[in-house]
Amino acid sequence: MLELSLRKNLHTAEGNVTLDIELEAETGQFLTLFGRSGVGKTTCLRCIAGLTEPDHGRIAVGGEIWFDRTKGIDIPPQKRRVGFVFQDYALFPNLSVRENLRIALGDPKDERYLDELLELMDIRELERRLPTTLSGGQQQRVALARALARRPRLLLLDEPLSALDGETRQRLQNEILRIQRHFRMTTLMVSHDLGEVYRLSDRVIVIEGGRTVARGRPAEVFGNRRISGKFRFTGEVLAIEPNDVVFTLSILIGNRVVQVIATAQEMRDIQVGDAVMLVSKAFNPLVMKVDRNPGRLSPSRS
Amino acid sequence: MNRLPGIIVAVASEGDISLVDVAVGENTLTAMLVETAESAPYLEAGNAVSVLFKETEVSLGKDLRGRLSLRNRLQGEVADIRKGKLLAEVTLACGGHRLVSVITRRAAERLELAVGDRVEALIKANEIMLGERADGL
Repeated sequence: MLELSLRKNLHTAEGNVTLDIELEAETGQFLTLFGRSGVGKTTCLRCIAGLTEPDHGRIAVGGEIWFDRTKGIDIPPQKRRVGFVFQDYALFPNLSVRENLRIALGDPKDERYLDELLELMDIRELERRLPTTLSGGQQQRVALARALARRPRLLLLDEPLSALDGETRQRLQNEILRIQRHFRMTTLMVSHDLGEVYRLSDRVIVIEGGRTVARGRPAEVFGNRRISGKFRFTGEVLAIEPNDVVFTLSILIGNRVVQVIATAQEMRDIQVGDAVMLVSKAFNPLVMKVDRNPGRLSPSRS
Repeated sequence: MNRLPGIIVAVASEGDISLVDVAVGENTLTAMLVETAESAPYLEAGNAVSVLFKETEVSLGKDLRGRLSLRNRLQGEVADIRKGKLLAEVTLACGGHRLVSVITRRAAERLELAVGDRVEALIKANEIMLGERADGL
Protein backbone atom coordinates (compact mmCIF):
# COMPACT_ATOMS: atom_id res chain seq x y z
CA MET A 1 0.00 0.00 0.00
CA LEU A 2 2.82 2.33 0.95
CA GLU A 3 6.22 1.90 -0.64
CA LEU A 4 8.92 4.32 0.23
CA SER A 5 12.61 4.63 -0.36
CA LEU A 6 14.29 7.92 0.21
CA ARG A 7 17.61 9.57 0.80
CA LYS A 8 18.17 13.03 2.08
CA ASN A 9 21.12 14.87 3.56
CA LEU A 10 20.21 16.51 6.84
CA HIS A 11 22.08 19.18 8.72
CA THR A 12 21.54 18.35 12.36
CA ALA A 13 22.98 19.55 15.65
CA GLU A 14 25.24 16.49 15.54
CA GLY A 15 26.55 17.30 12.08
CA ASN A 16 25.54 16.05 8.67
CA VAL A 17 23.46 12.90 8.62
CA THR A 18 22.20 11.06 5.58
CA LEU A 19 18.67 9.85 6.03
CA ASP A 20 18.38 6.59 4.15
CA ILE A 21 15.11 4.74 4.67
CA GLU A 22 13.16 2.07 2.90
CA LEU A 23 9.83 0.85 4.13
CA GLU A 24 6.62 -0.79 3.06
CA ALA A 25 3.23 -0.95 4.73
CA GLU A 26 0.16 -2.97 3.89
CA THR A 27 -3.33 -1.49 4.00
CA GLY A 28 -4.50 -1.03 7.56
CA GLN A 29 -1.07 -1.55 9.10
CA PHE A 30 0.21 0.59 11.94
CA LEU A 31 3.90 1.30 11.51
CA THR A 32 6.09 3.22 13.92
CA LEU A 33 9.42 4.92 13.34
CA PHE A 34 11.27 4.74 16.62
CA GLY A 35 14.53 6.33 17.67
CA ARG A 36 16.12 9.31 19.36
CA SER A 37 14.97 12.69 18.13
CA GLY A 38 17.07 14.42 15.50
CA VAL A 39 17.59 11.39 13.28
CA GLY A 40 15.18 12.24 10.48
CA LYS A 41 12.00 10.44 11.51
CA THR A 42 9.94 13.60 11.16
CA THR A 43 11.66 14.39 7.87
CA CYS A 44 10.48 11.03 6.60
CA LEU A 45 6.84 11.94 7.38
CA ARG A 46 7.29 15.39 5.82
CA CYS A 47 8.66 13.82 2.64
CA ILE A 48 5.58 11.60 2.39
CA ALA A 49 3.29 14.59 2.90
CA GLY A 50 5.21 16.57 0.28
CA LEU A 51 6.37 19.22 2.73
CA THR A 52 10.03 18.32 2.29
CA GLU A 53 11.70 17.15 -0.88
CA PRO A 54 13.93 14.06 -0.75
CA ASP A 55 17.28 14.16 -2.57
CA HIS A 56 16.60 10.76 -4.09
CA GLY A 57 13.89 8.18 -3.90
CA ARG A 58 10.39 7.11 -4.65
CA ILE A 59 7.12 7.28 -2.72
CA ALA A 60 4.08 5.33 -3.86
CA VAL A 61 0.76 5.11 -2.03
CA GLY A 62 -1.94 2.69 -3.14
CA GLY A 63 -0.35 2.28 -6.55
CA GLU A 64 -0.17 6.04 -7.08
CA ILE A 65 3.30 7.56 -7.42
CA TRP A 66 3.61 10.68 -5.28
CA PHE A 67 7.31 11.20 -5.76
CA ASP A 68 9.88 9.74 -8.10
CA ARG A 69 13.13 11.60 -8.54
CA THR A 70 14.27 9.73 -11.63
CA LYS A 71 10.92 10.21 -13.38
CA GLY A 72 10.60 13.80 -12.20
CA ILE A 73 7.29 13.15 -10.43
CA ASP A 74 6.47 15.33 -7.43
CA ILE A 75 2.75 15.58 -6.60
CA PRO A 76 2.05 18.80 -4.65
CA PRO A 77 1.17 18.39 -0.96
CA GLN A 78 -2.47 19.42 -1.34
CA LYS A 79 -3.00 16.58 -3.81
CA ARG A 80 -1.45 13.93 -1.59
CA ARG A 81 -4.20 12.45 0.50
CA VAL A 82 -2.55 12.32 3.89
CA GLY A 83 -3.83 13.23 7.32
CA PHE A 84 -1.05 14.76 9.36
CA VAL A 85 -1.19 15.11 13.14
CA PHE A 86 1.54 17.18 14.74
CA GLN A 87 2.78 17.22 18.30
CA ASP A 88 1.62 20.83 18.74
CA TYR A 89 -1.87 20.23 17.25
CA ALA A 90 -1.45 23.10 14.70
CA LEU A 91 -5.13 24.10 14.78
CA PHE A 92 -6.34 27.44 13.47
CA PRO A 93 -6.80 29.49 16.66
CA ASN A 94 -9.38 31.86 15.18
CA LEU A 95 -11.69 29.10 13.90
CA SER A 96 -14.13 27.01 15.90
CA VAL A 97 -13.62 23.27 16.19
CA ARG A 98 -16.23 22.67 13.53
CA GLU A 99 -14.65 25.23 11.17
CA ASN A 100 -11.22 23.71 11.71
CA LEU A 101 -12.63 20.41 10.52
CA ARG A 102 -14.71 21.90 7.71
CA ILE A 103 -11.80 23.57 5.94
CA ALA A 104 -10.00 20.25 5.88
CA LEU A 105 -12.92 18.36 4.31
CA GLY A 106 -12.30 17.06 0.81
CA ASP A 107 -15.86 18.10 -0.06
CA PRO A 108 -16.86 21.19 1.99
CA LYS A 109 -20.54 20.17 1.75
CA ASP A 110 -19.94 16.78 3.29
CA GLU A 111 -21.61 17.79 6.58
CA ARG A 112 -22.61 14.22 7.35
CA TYR A 113 -19.04 13.03 7.42
CA LEU A 114 -18.13 16.04 9.54
CA ASP A 115 -20.84 15.10 12.05
CA GLU A 116 -19.67 11.50 12.00
CA LEU A 117 -16.14 12.61 12.87
CA LEU A 118 -17.34 14.84 15.71
CA GLU A 119 -19.28 11.89 17.13
CA LEU A 120 -16.50 9.42 16.58
CA MET A 121 -13.92 11.57 18.34
CA ASP A 122 -16.39 12.51 21.05
CA ILE A 123 -15.97 16.25 20.46
CA ARG A 124 -19.56 17.03 19.46
CA GLU A 125 -20.09 19.32 22.49
CA LEU A 126 -16.96 21.25 21.65
CA GLU A 127 -17.84 22.09 18.05
CA ARG A 128 -18.44 25.82 18.66
CA ARG A 129 -15.44 26.33 20.92
CA LEU A 130 -12.16 27.93 19.87
CA PRO A 131 -9.08 25.68 20.16
CA THR A 132 -7.43 27.92 22.77
CA THR A 133 -10.27 27.18 25.20
CA LEU A 134 -9.65 23.44 25.00
CA SER A 135 -7.35 21.17 27.00
CA GLY A 136 -4.34 19.58 25.30
CA GLY A 137 -6.09 16.23 25.04
CA GLN A 138 -9.20 17.84 23.52
CA GLN A 139 -7.11 19.79 21.03
CA GLN A 140 -5.36 16.63 19.93
CA ARG A 141 -8.74 14.91 19.44
CA VAL A 142 -9.72 17.80 17.18
CA ALA A 143 -6.41 17.57 15.33
CA LEU A 144 -6.98 13.86 14.79
CA ALA A 145 -10.52 14.47 13.52
CA ARG A 146 -9.19 17.14 11.20
CA ALA A 147 -6.55 14.79 9.84
CA LEU A 148 -9.31 12.31 9.03
CA ALA A 149 -11.53 15.00 7.46
CA ARG A 150 -9.58 14.79 4.19
CA ARG A 151 -10.48 11.09 3.98
CA PRO A 152 -6.76 10.38 3.79
CA ARG A 153 -5.25 7.23 2.38
CA LEU A 154 -2.48 7.51 4.90
CA LEU A 155 -2.41 8.84 8.45
CA LEU A 156 0.85 10.42 9.61
CA LEU A 157 1.32 10.96 13.33
CA ASP A 158 4.37 12.92 14.46
CA GLU A 159 4.81 12.27 18.20
CA PRO A 160 1.15 13.15 18.52
CA LEU A 161 0.86 12.58 22.26
CA SER A 162 4.24 13.60 23.62
CA ALA A 163 2.97 16.97 24.92
CA LEU A 164 0.24 15.33 27.01
CA ASP A 165 0.28 14.00 30.56
CA GLY A 166 0.49 10.26 31.11
CA GLU A 167 -3.18 9.58 31.74
CA THR A 168 -4.43 11.63 28.80
CA ARG A 169 -1.78 10.05 26.64
CA GLN A 170 -2.99 6.58 27.44
CA ARG A 171 -6.62 7.49 26.80
CA LEU A 172 -5.73 8.97 23.44
CA GLN A 173 -3.60 5.97 22.53
CA ASN A 174 -6.72 3.87 22.87
CA GLU A 175 -8.66 6.41 20.80
CA ILE A 176 -6.06 6.37 18.04
CA LEU A 177 -6.13 2.59 17.96
CA ARG A 178 -9.93 2.53 17.83
CA ILE A 179 -10.09 5.09 15.00
CA GLN A 180 -7.26 3.45 13.10
CA ARG A 181 -9.07 0.10 13.21
CA HIS A 182 -12.45 1.70 12.43
CA PHE A 183 -11.18 3.17 9.16
CA ARG A 184 -8.56 0.45 8.59
CA MET A 185 -6.27 3.40 8.07
CA THR A 186 -2.68 2.73 7.09
CA THR A 187 -0.76 4.71 9.69
CA LEU A 188 2.82 5.81 10.12
CA MET A 189 3.75 7.23 13.51
CA VAL A 190 6.91 8.75 14.89
CA SER A 191 7.46 8.05 18.57
CA HIS A 192 10.19 7.61 21.11
CA ASP A 193 7.83 6.29 23.78
CA LEU A 194 8.40 2.57 24.08
CA GLY A 195 5.06 1.89 25.76
CA GLU A 196 3.30 3.71 22.94
CA VAL A 197 5.20 1.77 20.30
CA TYR A 198 4.22 -1.52 21.93
CA ARG A 199 0.58 -0.57 22.40
CA LEU A 200 -0.09 0.82 18.96
CA SER A 201 2.19 -0.59 16.31
CA ASP A 202 1.98 -3.72 14.25
CA ARG A 203 5.53 -3.13 13.17
CA VAL A 204 8.32 -0.88 14.27
CA ILE A 205 11.34 0.44 12.43
CA VAL A 206 14.22 1.54 14.63
CA ILE A 207 16.22 4.40 13.16
CA GLU A 208 19.65 5.45 14.34
CA GLY A 209 21.85 8.02 12.64
CA GLY A 210 19.43 8.18 9.71
CA ARG A 211 19.53 4.44 9.05
CA THR A 212 17.32 1.50 9.85
CA VAL A 213 18.97 -0.65 12.49
CA ALA A 214 16.08 -3.00 13.26
CA ARG A 215 12.58 -3.75 12.07
CA GLY A 216 9.81 -6.16 12.94
CA ARG A 217 7.06 -6.65 15.48
CA PRO A 218 7.80 -4.66 18.66
CA ALA A 219 8.23 -7.83 20.72
CA GLU A 220 10.74 -9.18 18.22
CA VAL A 221 12.67 -5.95 17.99
CA PHE A 222 12.80 -5.02 21.66
CA GLY A 223 12.62 -8.42 23.30
CA ASN A 224 15.93 -10.21 23.44
CA ARG A 225 15.02 -13.61 22.09
CA ARG A 226 18.34 -15.20 22.87
CA ILE A 227 17.65 -15.84 26.49
CA SER A 228 15.76 -18.78 27.87
CA GLY A 229 13.39 -16.95 30.27
CA LYS A 230 9.79 -17.37 29.23
CA PHE A 231 8.36 -14.25 30.86
CA ARG A 232 9.81 -11.33 29.04
CA PHE A 233 8.45 -7.82 29.14
CA THR A 234 9.95 -4.57 28.06
CA GLY A 235 9.11 -1.54 30.11
CA GLU A 236 10.21 1.87 31.20
CA VAL A 237 11.73 2.65 34.58
CA LEU A 238 9.50 5.19 36.31
CA ALA A 239 11.11 5.29 39.73
CA ILE A 240 14.03 3.85 41.69
CA GLU A 241 13.82 3.60 45.48
CA PRO A 242 16.67 2.30 47.59
CA ASN A 243 15.29 -0.12 50.18
CA ASP A 244 17.54 -1.90 52.64
CA VAL A 245 20.45 -3.39 50.61
CA VAL A 246 18.36 -3.61 47.43
CA PHE A 247 16.32 -1.30 45.20
CA THR A 248 12.64 -1.26 44.35
CA LEU A 249 12.00 -0.31 40.74
CA SER A 250 8.63 0.84 39.47
CA ILE A 251 8.37 -0.18 35.85
CA LEU A 252 5.69 0.72 33.35
CA ILE A 253 4.73 -2.30 31.27
CA GLY A 254 1.91 -1.63 28.84
CA ASN A 255 -0.42 0.45 30.96
CA ARG A 256 0.47 -1.15 34.26
CA VAL A 257 3.12 -0.33 36.77
CA VAL A 258 4.86 -3.28 38.37
CA GLN A 259 7.41 -3.31 41.15
CA VAL A 260 10.57 -5.31 40.91
CA ILE A 261 13.50 -5.80 43.26
CA ALA A 262 16.97 -5.21 41.85
CA THR A 263 20.39 -5.38 43.43
CA ALA A 264 22.99 -2.63 43.54
CA GLN A 265 24.96 -4.38 40.82
CA GLU A 266 21.94 -4.59 38.51
CA MET A 267 21.28 -0.89 39.09
CA ARG A 268 24.74 0.24 38.05
CA ASP A 269 23.74 1.40 34.58
CA ILE A 270 20.01 1.85 35.04
CA GLN A 271 18.32 5.22 35.44
CA VAL A 272 14.78 6.56 35.51
CA GLY A 273 13.49 6.71 31.96
CA ASP A 274 15.54 3.75 30.75
CA ALA A 275 13.94 0.97 28.79
CA VAL A 276 14.51 -2.34 30.52
CA MET A 277 13.68 -5.95 29.89
CA LEU A 278 12.23 -8.03 32.70
CA VAL A 279 12.81 -11.73 32.44
CA SER A 280 11.49 -14.51 34.59
CA LYS A 281 11.20 -18.24 34.22
CA ALA A 282 8.19 -20.30 33.23
CA PHE A 283 8.54 -22.10 36.56
CA ASN A 284 8.06 -19.05 38.76
CA PRO A 285 4.52 -17.77 38.34
CA LEU A 286 1.75 -19.18 40.48
CA VAL A 287 -1.37 -19.91 38.50
CA MET A 288 -4.71 -18.96 40.01
CA LYS A 289 -8.12 -19.13 38.50
CA VAL A 290 -9.89 -15.79 38.08
CA ASP A 291 -13.60 -15.34 38.61
CA ARG A 292 -15.05 -14.19 35.30
CA ASN A 293 -17.98 -12.54 37.06
CA PRO A 294 -16.20 -10.37 39.57
CA GLY A 295 -19.44 -8.52 40.30
CA ARG A 296 -20.95 -11.68 41.76
CA LEU A 297 -19.92 -12.59 45.24
CA SER A 298 -18.26 -15.96 45.38
CA PRO A 299 -19.15 -18.20 48.31
CA SER A 300 -16.84 -17.94 51.24
CA ARG A 301 -14.57 -20.90 51.75
CA SER A 302 -13.59 -20.29 55.30
CA MET B 1 21.62 -10.71 38.31
CA ASN B 2 24.41 -13.25 38.60
CA ARG B 3 26.01 -14.06 35.31
CA LEU B 4 28.57 -16.80 35.00
CA PRO B 5 30.20 -17.95 31.76
CA GLY B 6 29.82 -21.63 31.00
CA ILE B 7 29.95 -24.33 28.36
CA ILE B 8 27.04 -26.70 27.76
CA VAL B 9 28.12 -30.29 28.44
CA ALA B 10 24.83 -32.17 28.13
CA VAL B 11 21.16 -31.66 27.27
CA ALA B 12 18.42 -34.09 28.33
CA SER B 13 14.91 -33.37 27.10
CA GLU B 14 11.46 -34.77 27.67
CA GLY B 15 8.59 -33.08 25.85
CA ASP B 16 9.19 -29.33 26.13
CA ILE B 17 11.36 -29.52 29.22
CA SER B 18 15.13 -29.87 29.25
CA LEU B 19 17.78 -30.26 31.86
CA VAL B 20 20.90 -28.57 30.61
CA ASP B 21 24.23 -29.25 32.30
CA VAL B 22 26.67 -26.40 32.05
CA ALA B 23 30.31 -26.49 33.09
CA VAL B 24 31.20 -23.35 35.01
CA GLY B 25 34.87 -23.51 35.93
CA GLU B 26 35.28 -26.73 37.90
CA ASN B 27 31.61 -27.03 38.76
CA THR B 28 28.66 -28.23 36.76
CA LEU B 29 25.38 -26.39 37.09
CA THR B 30 22.06 -27.71 35.84
CA ALA B 31 19.37 -25.45 34.41
CA MET B 32 15.80 -26.62 33.94
CA LEU B 33 14.25 -24.94 30.91
CA VAL B 34 10.95 -25.01 29.03
CA GLU B 35 12.92 -25.19 25.82
CA THR B 36 14.57 -27.88 23.74
CA ALA B 37 17.31 -27.95 21.11
CA GLU B 38 14.49 -27.79 18.58
CA SER B 39 13.03 -24.51 19.87
CA ALA B 40 16.42 -23.09 20.89
CA PRO B 41 19.17 -24.37 18.60
CA TYR B 42 21.93 -23.01 20.84
CA LEU B 43 21.13 -25.78 23.36
CA GLU B 44 23.87 -28.05 22.16
CA ALA B 45 26.85 -29.53 23.94
CA GLY B 46 29.98 -27.44 23.38
CA ASN B 47 28.19 -24.10 23.04
CA ALA B 48 29.15 -21.16 25.22
CA VAL B 49 26.35 -19.75 27.36
CA SER B 50 25.82 -17.33 30.19
CA VAL B 51 24.30 -18.84 33.30
CA LEU B 52 21.90 -16.28 34.76
CA PHE B 53 20.10 -16.23 38.09
CA LYS B 54 18.73 -13.68 40.49
CA GLU B 55 20.67 -12.88 43.68
CA THR B 56 17.56 -13.48 45.77
CA GLU B 57 17.41 -17.09 44.52
CA VAL B 58 20.82 -17.98 45.91
CA SER B 59 20.79 -19.75 49.30
CA LEU B 60 23.93 -20.13 51.34
CA GLY B 61 25.14 -23.11 53.31
CA LYS B 62 27.99 -23.53 55.74
CA ASP B 63 29.41 -26.84 56.99
CA LEU B 64 26.77 -28.69 54.99
CA ARG B 65 26.36 -32.38 55.67
CA GLY B 66 23.82 -34.97 54.72
CA ARG B 67 22.09 -35.38 51.42
CA LEU B 68 20.42 -32.50 49.63
CA SER B 69 18.12 -32.53 46.60
CA LEU B 70 19.85 -29.45 45.32
CA ARG B 71 22.66 -30.34 42.98
CA ASN B 72 23.62 -26.83 42.01
CA ARG B 73 26.24 -26.19 44.68
CA LEU B 74 29.08 -23.75 44.18
CA GLN B 75 31.98 -23.57 46.64
CA GLY B 76 33.07 -20.06 47.44
CA GLU B 77 34.60 -17.71 49.91
CA VAL B 78 32.77 -14.78 51.46
CA ALA B 79 34.38 -11.65 50.01
CA ASP B 80 32.00 -9.03 51.32
CA ILE B 81 28.88 -8.67 53.45
CA ARG B 82 26.62 -5.64 53.31
CA LYS B 83 23.93 -5.68 55.96
CA GLY B 84 20.68 -3.73 55.85
CA LYS B 85 17.96 -3.75 58.45
CA LEU B 86 16.20 -6.81 57.06
CA LEU B 87 18.43 -8.10 54.30
CA ALA B 88 22.06 -8.89 53.72
CA GLU B 89 23.95 -8.88 50.46
CA VAL B 90 26.71 -11.45 50.51
CA THR B 91 29.35 -11.44 47.79
CA LEU B 92 31.24 -14.67 47.18
CA ALA B 93 34.42 -15.35 45.28
CA CYS B 94 33.79 -18.60 43.41
CA GLY B 95 36.71 -19.84 41.36
CA GLY B 96 37.54 -16.48 39.84
CA HIS B 97 33.93 -15.35 39.52
CA ARG B 98 31.93 -13.15 41.81
CA LEU B 99 28.54 -14.31 42.90
CA VAL B 100 26.04 -12.37 44.96
CA SER B 101 23.40 -13.73 47.31
CA VAL B 102 20.71 -11.66 48.97
CA ILE B 103 19.37 -13.40 52.06
CA THR B 104 17.74 -12.12 55.22
CA ARG B 105 19.96 -10.50 57.77
CA ARG B 106 18.67 -13.02 60.32
CA ALA B 107 19.85 -15.89 58.15
CA ALA B 108 23.26 -14.30 57.70
CA GLU B 109 23.57 -13.89 61.46
CA ARG B 110 22.42 -17.42 62.17
CA LEU B 111 25.19 -18.67 59.86
CA GLU B 112 27.58 -16.30 61.65
CA LEU B 113 28.87 -15.30 58.25
CA ALA B 114 32.16 -13.45 58.14
CA VAL B 115 34.47 -12.38 55.36
CA GLY B 116 36.81 -15.26 54.51
CA ASP B 117 34.30 -18.00 55.44
CA ARG B 118 34.04 -21.03 53.16
CA VAL B 119 30.41 -21.40 52.10
CA GLU B 120 28.33 -23.09 49.46
CA ALA B 121 25.93 -21.24 47.16
CA LEU B 122 22.81 -23.27 46.38
CA ILE B 123 20.56 -22.55 43.42
CA LYS B 124 17.55 -24.55 42.29
CA ALA B 125 17.76 -25.74 38.68
CA ASN B 126 14.44 -24.11 37.82
CA GLU B 127 15.77 -20.70 38.86
CA ILE B 128 18.60 -20.75 36.34
CA MET B 129 18.28 -19.18 32.92
CA LEU B 130 20.70 -19.54 30.08
CA GLY B 131 21.67 -16.78 27.70
CA GLU B 132 23.33 -17.35 24.38
CA ARG B 133 26.85 -16.01 24.29
CA ALA B 134 28.18 -14.67 21.01
CA ASP B 135 31.67 -13.90 22.27
CA GLY B 136 32.55 -17.58 22.78
CA LEU B 137 34.48 -16.74 25.95
